[in-house]
Amino acid sequence: MAIRGRPAIRISDGEADSAQIAEFERDRRRLLRAGLAAGGTVVAASSIPLLASVRNAFAQQSGDIEILESAIKLEQVAVLAYGRVLDSGLLSPRVARVARQFAAHEREHADRLVAALTALRGKPPPKPTGVKDIDAVVEGIGDVKSQADVIDFAIELELSTVAAYYDAHRKLIAAGLLQAAASIMANEGQHLVVLRQAAGQAPVPNALETGDER
Amino acid sequence: MEIDSFLRDPLSRRRFLRTSGAGLVGGSAVVLAACGDDDKTGSGAGSDEQDKADVEILNGALDLELMSIAAYKEGAALLQGGVLQVAKGFLEQEQAHADALVSAIRDAGGTPNTAKKSYDFPRLRSQRDALKFAIELEETAVAAYIDALPKLTKGDLRGTAAAILTTEAEHIAVLRDTLGMAPVADAFVTGKLR
Repeated sequence: MAIRGRPAIRISDGEADSAQIAEFERDRRRLLRAGLAAGGTVVAASSIPLLASVRNAFAQQSGDIEILESAIKLEQVAVLAYGRVLDSGLLSPRVARVARQFAAHEREHADRLVAALTALRGKPPPKPTGVKDIDAVVEGIGDVKSQADVIDFAIELELSTVAAYYDAHRKLIAAGLLQAAASIMANEGQHLVVLRQAAGQAPVPNALETGDER
Repeated sequence: MEIDSFLRDPLSRRRFLRTSGAGLVGGSAVVLAACGDDDKTGSGAGSDEQDKADVEILNGALDLELMSIAAYKEGAALLQGGVLQVAKGFLEQEQAHADALVSAIRDAGGTPNTAKKSYDFPRLRSQRDALKFAIELEETAVAAYIDALPKLTKGDLRGTAAAILTTEAEHIAVLRDTLGMAPVADAFVTGKLR
């Protein structure tokens, strides 16, 4: 099931604040030193403030209903994004199988969360429909040109999801929701393992997986 | 006991975990005793009672991490090449988890548990045995953390527990892949409590 590949080289410009860019650059250099990134990484610097805004949205939610709505949006964006890359024709059959499996997982997560939201008498948010909705979480799906680009994009997407669930654990109240969120976060971490291996990166770079590694 | 019969027999696994002093396991001992059957997590921080409850749960988690550290050390003798390197990395990460838990326990005014002098691990004869046993321990840890998570009274601790259990789930994916199994088995990673 593991897939192998090589990360592409693309650093796009953006308006990330300087501290975030500096941190990103440090990580990038570290990757380069380790010889893992083969000359660069595909992480769009411009995606960093967007990711920060998604996380802030999570962090600012005070009630379980609002957090569930954010999580559902995120999972539905992931379903949409995996669907898009599957339609792109850029993936080998083997990588496409992995992407299909991950898309199915994200759909299961969304369904579980929608059921939890409905049980709390909340109303599911409208489904995301286009690139703009995906860009609001992680930018760059419109620019993927190769399988390696897709894999690097998927890593960013999964990292943003892990980061959001990590933050949500500080805010969620109901025990069952915390446990569901943890079992989903752990699954996104496992997706990261497969994707990182595909990108030639260390599969488990951190002792604490908070979604901050990039 | 041989690893295969150990893995097949839930009773022997339960007995093993009990005698290994991993109090978090079984969904009964430490965790539930600490907080009862609550639907809601605690909010706010700092009362002595909450700290005491957190310490008890964190010490249960620490017991499991210490056991995993001992297991990775013992299993390393059976591993070679790239697999050995992977296991060394995981061992360091389990140590980092234990260190984080020790700090959290001290911050809450508690005394961290220490490792047992020895653990009664099943007999491991091959690299495959060692990897299967590692998966077993990681699955137990994931389940124990998920069980414990809502009972932790502070948001920061819940975040840390979630980050640790996600790392354990990642270890499982790598170990499964190494054994030729699909790395990601299910959309929800719940581990196995026994």
